[in-house]
Amino acid sequence: MQNDMKYEWNLAFRIDHWVRFLSIVMLVFTGFYIHWPFMSGGPGSFLMAWMRFFHFVCAYTLILGLVVRIYLAFNSRFSSDWKDFSITKNLAGVPDILGYYIFVKGSHKDYGRYNPLQALAYLAMAFMVIFVSLTGAALYKGSLFGFINAAGSFGWVSRMLGGESYVRIWHIFSMWIFIIFIIVHAYMSVLISASNKDKTLTSIFTGYKLKKSA
Amino acid sequence: MEENDGITGQFLDAVEFRGVSRRDFLKYCGATAALLGLSELYVPKIAAAIEKASKRPPVVWLNFASDSGCTEALIKATYPGPADLVLDVLSIDYNETIMAAAGKQVDEILANSRKEGGYILVVEGGIPTKKGHGMIGGKEMLDVLKENAGPAVAILAVGSCATSGGVPAASPNPSQIIGVNEALKKLGISKSVVNLDLCPVNVEYLTAVIVNYLLLGKLPELDSYGRPLMFYSQTIHDNCERRAHFDAGRFVETFGSKEESLGYCLYKMGCKGPMTYSACPKVKYNSRISWCIGAGGPCIGCAEPGWTDKFAGFYNRLPGVKIPGLGGVEATADKIGAAAAVVTAAGIAVHAIGSAASGRIGGKDGGEK
Ligand code: SF4
Ligand code: SF4
Repeated sequence: MQNDMKYEWNLAFRIDHWVRFLSIVMLVFTGFYIHWPFMSGGPGSFLMAWMRFFHFVCAYTLILGLVVRIYLAFNSRFSSDWKDFSITKNLAGVPDILGYYIFVKGSHKDYGRYNPLQALAYLAMAFMVIFVSLTGAALYKGSLFGFINAAGSFGWVSRMLGGESYVRIWHIFSMWIFIIFIIVHAYMSVLISASNKDKTLTSIFTGYKLKKSA
Repeated sequence: MEENDGITGQFLDAVEFRGVSRRDFLKYCGATAALLGLSELYVPKIAAAIEKASKRPPVVWLNFASDSGCTEALIKATYPGPADLVLDVLSIDYNETIMAAAGKQVDEILANSRKEGGYILVVEGGIPTKKGHGMIGGKEMLDVLKENAGPAVAILAVGSCATSGGVPAASPNPSQIIGVNEALKKLGISKSVVNLDLCPVNVEYLTAVIVNYLLLGKLPELDSYGRPLMFYSQTIHDNCERRAHFDAGRFVETFGSKEESLGYCLYKMGCKGPMTYSACPKVKYNSRISWCIGAGGPCIGCAEPGWTDKFAGFYNRLPGVKIPGLGGVEATADKIGAAAAVVTAAGIAVHAIGSAASGRIGGKDGGEK
């Protein structure tokens, strides 16, 4: 059995993936609450204060998760995969893979770990993490990581986007992009597992994917 | 202290004549010292500076596109307090709204001030840039500003209209009204402007900036929007008396409710306190009697540049977003995001059906060649 399996993700990649997933889910939930408090607290409660606290904790986690992922991309002994994210190389492959996904073509090339659309989407999400963190930092009133004065260091974000109400709107739009990404990402994992029959879906839990039997 | 507080008997007589007791006056000087971040030791100096200023420099107050609400705030009718007094003794040479003179006389006074120069120019109101949309005595407001900005030693834009257009500049802004800073830039005049965003201006901010100038001979430190840091460095929300309710998650859901009578947080009633920088909770209005949230209304964000448009929907959490390509149709960020997610889900459903129909799911071959 083990023979037809390929070790696709080592523990570091898997943990980083799930830590980021959990932090995004928490960020979305607490973010919805902070934007529009849908429960009210009774006497002695600190509901909003806790929501904000967890929002900030998860925000730090998401940022650190990206830092770890970037570190792995360059320094992982298992698989430093930064070359897979070349924009030009991936853009060249888009017509092939897109043609397959919109049923114009019956098959596509074998791209290894990430197909071009996938690589570009992941790269875009890395930039989204940066963008959402910048807008978040611009809204934060206090010192980030305990020593960076948020108002002084990220006021430029607010000025660039036209004031704090617009920073909030961009922050909310970014959240929706994360939600949409997660929906599409989950669907694609299921779809590809079903069509390639290579256990793509479970590989993010177990680390192992089925080898091509061709 | 009584002896050496630096104020002459003559000045105090004049003060008392205006219905302000010596005690009140000193109290005002003390409050101003606190606002300026100076120690108690400065109180006599402030009093002396104000007294000295009763001769010079004069203030010229120009009115442009506004509802004169700031003038109204200045002459607020409750009782003549020390803050009014300061503006009184400053000899406002020219203020169209409250001066007794009219017609030719007025022009002469203003021309005279210009000749002497060295005045503090206070501007109230936005500046229309569309020809014929705002004129005083046959002159474009833009030209009036140009004429009078030159000889001024300091320019203070008071109220949201003067800082960034305010209410009269609200979309679609038919008169193309802009704030003083932008207007000066347009005119090629490079002079720094102190922006006192608020609608109407808080008279205590105004007098504190003037006293600061009289005392130290310079304008206060400004933030990137030209607002004095001493008043605009903290949010309303950070000093709000209802903040404990916010942290606890206790919110007013509708006006006239039990929650409202309990003084819960006004966040869900559209309070812009978390994104508005001003010392309103501390300085308050009308001789520190009350202020917006103290009086039960949400903060509408009037201390921020770009108000009203950027905070439109006073009772909404956030302004609407114009959807590109739909000619002015607006929606909230929440609705746009949710719609995009629904469209995505629908797309996925269609794609899943397609994949099943084409035999990709459950078929023998994978997609890879
Ligand atoms: S009323 Fe407004 S400023 Fe006060 S705590 Fe609530 S949201 Fe903040
Ligand atoms: S509390 Fe808000 S709305 Fe009221 S004066 Fe201050 S900034 Fe303006």
